Amino acid sequence: MNIQFKKGVLEICVLSVLAHKDCYGYELVSEISKRIDISEGTIYPLLHRLKDDGYVTTYLQESAGGPPRKYYRLTESGRKEEHDQKDEWMRFAASVNALLEGKIDAAE
Amino acid sequence: MLQNEQEFIRIIRSRLEGTLPKDELDDIISDYAEHFSIGKANGRTDEELWRSLGSPDDIAREIKVMHLVKKAEDDQSCRNIFHAVIATLGLGLFNLVFVLVPFILLVVMLVVIFLIGVCFTIFGPIASVFSVLQILGIPASAIWFSPMAGLFFSIGMTTFGLLLIIGDYYLARFFYHVGIQYLKWNFSVITGTERSA
Repeated sequence: MNIQFKKGVLEICVLSVLAHKDCYGYELVSEISKRIDISEGTIYPLLHRLKDDGYVTTYLQESAGGPPRKYYRLTESGRKEEHDQKDEWMRFAASVNALLEGKIDAAE
Repeated sequence: MLQNEQEFIRIIRSRLEGTLPKDELDDIISDYAEHFSIGKANGRTDEELWRSLGSPDDIAREIKVMHLVKKAEDDQSCRNIFHAVIATLGLGLFNLVFVLVPFILLVVMLVVIFLIGVCFTIFGPIASVFSVLQILGIPASAIWFSPMAGLFFSIGMTTFGLLLIIGDYYLARFFYHVGIQYLKWNFSVITGTERSA
């Protein structure tokens, strides 16, 4: 898929995954790269930006048989942002789909 | 080149040292170190992890742009916006046209407006001196058809010049703000992953 598309939707993907559960970086990256083919390394800078913007916070938690892991959690404003962006995306996707389907109908 | 964790982290660190504050850089490095260590605990090799993370040079470049744009936003100065623009140019050829060209045009426009303002401001008092001399009856200075009209005209010139300079200042602040928003948008939508995806 086109890179610009991916880059634009990465933020909402990260917010959505975190809306379901707190994640450590590796977990979040795996969750997203399972479905979207993207340079995994770019997710970390994005997480830092979301943290700067106050949408996520981090905390350390012990892991079974390893060093503590850094978990990312959505803040209240992060939840609101996730909700807003999701709404916006859903409406946008529905419009695009309607247009694409309409185009196919006309061609037939 | 050996594609392992140490090399990956060395590249990120060397590219960002001096730009990012130490604690922020350490925080970023710790994320990648954790990524490698969990990945390896899950049976993946250094090379595999490197490949799916993408080029550390590109990642460092992105982090740098993000940091500098934010800095230019928080602390408004010519120097900071200049650094942010230069870093953004490094993200891809696209930005040479869509960032550098508008940036240069804007800077030239703001400088030209400022210089015109300065000319008018300086011209006013000089012209008024001639008017006053003419009113006093010194013929060599008779550049005006009517010295009184000349005097008012000179005052008008200076006022206009000062207004231009003040207007230019607000224009610069406006474009600074819009420019930052544009760099952020440009960064989050267009460039950054074009080489590494």
